[in-house]
Amino acid sequence: MAAVIEFQHVTKIYHRVFSEEKLAALSDVSFETTAGQVCAFLGPNGAGKTTSINMLMGFFFPTSGQIRVFERPPGDLLAKKQIGFLPENFAFHKFLTAPKLLRFHLQLAGRNPNNAGSRIADLLAKVKLNGYENLKIGRYSRGMVQRIGIAQALLCDPQLIVLDEPTSGLDPAGRREVLQLLAQLKAEGKTIFLSSHILPEVEQIADHVIIINRGKMVRSGRLQDLLATGAQVEIVADRVPHELAQSALRGAIVEPTPQGVRVVVDTARKRETVEALWAAGSDVIAMTPLRSTLEELFLKEVDQPGGAQ
Amino acid sequence: MKVRAIALNTFSGLVRNKIIILFCAGCICILLLMLASLLTLRNLRGTQNAEMMQMAVLPLIASMMTFVSGFGSLLAAWSAADAVASEMRSGTVLAVLARPVRRWEFLLGKFLGVQLMMFVFVLLMLGLNYLLAWIGGATIETTPWVLIVYPLVRYMIYSALGILLVTVMHPIVAFCIVLVVMIAAGLVAPGNPETFMPQWLRTGLFYVLPSSNLLSETRFLTITRATLRAALWTDHATALAYGLDYALVCFLLAAWIFRSRSLSRD
Repeated sequence: MAAVIEFQHVTKIYHRVFSEEKLAALSDVSFETTAGQVCAFLGPNGAGKTTSINMLMGFFFPTSGQIRVFERPPGDLLAKKQIGFLPENFAFHKFLTAPKLLRFHLQLAGRNPNNAGSRIADLLAKVKLNGYENLKIGRYSRGMVQRIGIAQALLCDPQLIVLDEPTSGLDPAGRREVLQLLAQLKAEGKTIFLSSHILPEVEQIADHVIIINRGKMVRSGRLQDLLATGAQVEIVADRVPHELAQSALRGAIVEPTPQGVRVVVDTARKRETVEALWAAGSDVIAMTPLRSTLEELFLKEVDQPGGAQ
Repeated sequence: MKVRAIALNTFSGLVRNKIIILFCAGCICILLLMLASLLTLRNLRGTQNAEMMQMAVLPLIASMMTFVSGFGSLLAAWSAADAVASEMRSGTVLAVLARPVRRWEFLLGKFLGVQLMMFVFVLLMLGLNYLLAWIGGATIETTPWVLIVYPLVRYMIYSALGILLVTVMHPIVAFCIVLVVMIAAGLVAPGNPETFMPQWLRTGLFYVLPSSNLLSETRFLTITRATLRAALWTDHATALAYGLDYALVCFLLAAWIFRSRSLSRD
């Protein structure tokens, strides 16, 4: 499958004016994203995510290496026609209203805004901004600005959607709506390249994960593979006799939860543990292979001392 | 359509720009003060020595028009610099250039948006010209195109210069440089008396700086001599072509610098 985004040994070094000082924002970063994939681009603050996205959009130029978007250089008009972009902390012309802003962006995309009334109304409804058509963007809350940003990113039905922190400034309900929207776009076969700090949400929709730290790529791969089933299972039972915890469950993690007692044991001991629980009169409610979360993986990769140096 | 959309959007932004509104309000206040003294002089004219008063009124009107015209040059330079810089500062440029818009199209849209505002300014200035001529008891007996086209071309030069400078520096620094350029261009103009500058510097600056005297409508028309001085159409064509050429060179340089500039939020 053809790569939609391709980074090949990309390095970006910032030079301070009138000084010898150099800062490597990205060092030899290579990855690719294929069509229909939801790619999460993760990293702590200052890792180089926004620099990468700005280079992908043609706003910055790499010091070395090559970037291709739809097999074209970044900033190419034909490539940009297929991209919907939401920058971090999106800013708009504050004197415009939402429909006027979307019409302006349609004109920038070379489309006729006069026939787009229903498209604009649909989009505003999709991002829950219907009813605010006459309010100027300067009077919007942070969350509303983020919503109109998402609407403009989706305006021209792009094949690739690049989102830099799409849920920043949104309340939990707003974040859930954005997540649902992204899931819907994923189902439509769109390619989504997103950067976010809210990892549990990313975990729900991402297929592919790229983690960068201090300008270097530290982990990349399919989310499923990165969060591969561990060597432990989690068993939830309705009650566990105290004696059992002292004998048969010795060495296991046993902790009460609202759903019952949670027992974490090595996979090799799962059968023995379940039989012991049944024998003691406990009812096993659930048994699931324990896998690490994206947050655990991220923290492990980012916190490694010197790992990303 | 893209350039037109950017130009109209720029125009809408400029007429709402608080600094520009403040700038214009200051100009109007100074103009009203001058107008008050003008009206006082005009009222005295009937009772005192009429000829002497007329001699005082007409230069005052001429200085008012010079002030308004000079203010237009500053307005053009600041508007152009701010139109580009504010997009960079706020980050709206990222949303615009994420669309299939070339960087030079963005700059051209900004430039045309500023010209649209300056066209409105020139029309207001034209109205003021006629009003002041009427107050001063003079009549402008000429076609108004000189009063529209000449200042517009002059403002094109200053706005293109503003755009060129702001692609590499802060808008306030860019504006200050344009201001210095305006003053220096006036000092080295051929009609001006000798200045402290050595001749070689004067000549060099005359060739490099925009010759705003050449593009001044006062070459052909002043309020004290309110008929169009006879000029061949080739004179007009040469002067206007010079101005347009200067503006084009500045704009092309700006587009060339801007094409390789990193677009980050300043």
